[in-house]
Amino acid sequence: MPEVEVNGTRLFYQQSGEGPDVVLVHAVTSNQAVWTFSGLPDALATDFRVTTYDMRGHGASARPATGYTSAGMAEDFRQLHTALGLKPALLVGHSFGGVVSMHAAALAPECVAGVLLSDSFFPGLKHVEPNFGKMSIWVDLRETFTRVGVELGDTVDFARLFRETAALPPEKMKQLEDIYGAFGRGWLRQLPRLAETTCGDEVLAEAGLTADVLASVAQPVVALYDEFSPFLATSRWLEQHLAKCVAEIIPAAKHFAMLDNTAGFTDAVTRHLKRLTQTTYPPGPPP
Amino acid sequence: MRTTEDLLAALAEVVRNTFPDRDLPEPVELTTRAFADLGFASIDLVVLAERLDAHFGRRLPFGTFLKGLRDCGAEDLELGELVAFLQKHV
Repeated sequence: MPEVEVNGTRLFYQQSGEGPDVVLVHAVTSNQAVWTFSGLPDALATDFRVTTYDMRGHGASARPATGYTSAGMAEDFRQLHTALGLKPALLVGHSFGGVVSMHAAALAPECVAGVLLSDSFFPGLKHVEPNFGKMSIWVDLRETFTRVGVELGDTVDFARLFRETAALPPEKMKQLEDIYGAFGRGWLRQLPRLAETTCGDEVLAEAGLTADVLASVAQPVVALYDEFSPFLATSRWLEQHLAKCVAEIIPAAKHFAMLDNTAGFTDAVTRHLKRLTQTTYPPGPPP
Repeated sequence: MRTTEDLLAALAEVVRNTFPDRDLPEPVELTTRAFADLGFASIDLVVLAERLDAHFGRRLPFGTFLKGLRDCGAEDLELGELVAFLQKHV
């Protein structure tokens, strides 16, 4: 299994294709399978060298007790980038993966040629985002957990989600597994394990990625926000305050664009990556 | 072309070697389901795909295969479907 030891942990990664480096960064409680099942790595591998990896605590990577802020995970990325010998890469970050990507762009600009965000919320932009903590997927989650007698609260609280799931008696866990079905069961079973870490509290911390730091990112950024995203104020702020940011709405999507509208998301990602590649890596011999 | 029986045996061996700590049903059959019977999570299929690449010595288009499953609304994956995929590509 391709793994790399970085920043005191072990990360599971996959790589395919040849060309400019693209790294896909998944969301919190997700893993790189979300990209695999979307078909995006295969679609990009004809033009790019595509790296996907599981962030610490997620998927098949190790699960250390701490280090789950966007700053910590940006450092994981920086060391993975070095260990794999990547060129300055274009990052595609979904949700919290986009926060990690932007933090990496700010902290390690030599590793990041550009960032494509997919429906990311930034704790450092809480003051401009009226819908902080009011994601529709949290509403869906809360309603589902209510069916087994668990109250998760009105606003996104990963620590509470992990803690409550860890405390579920087996018969209620089984009820939830039946509700989520075969594909959702693995997602559900990882939640109690994350309760043993600081992930729940740390992923919603600003961790140094303030509005000023975000605005200082000089690399090109593409803000791909979903049609039914609660974070469209964030998208507008990024477009107005970043030096090189363009925004685009992915139709018929509500946070999981790569699955909600696979064709539309794949088209937008491919189009912007090719555009950024021509800007970042112009044709012709290297200078 | 490799026979269905050969590929199922190879697949079962790779599954056992990849997940040695799992309590897997014995024997596995074409109708054995990856999620419901083997207890897989989606990431396990990514790990298994990498191991099958190594076993057969070539990059298999797993992403396209798994996306196809999702597109047709599949609720699980029978090993027979994986064997058919392998038969097409190895």
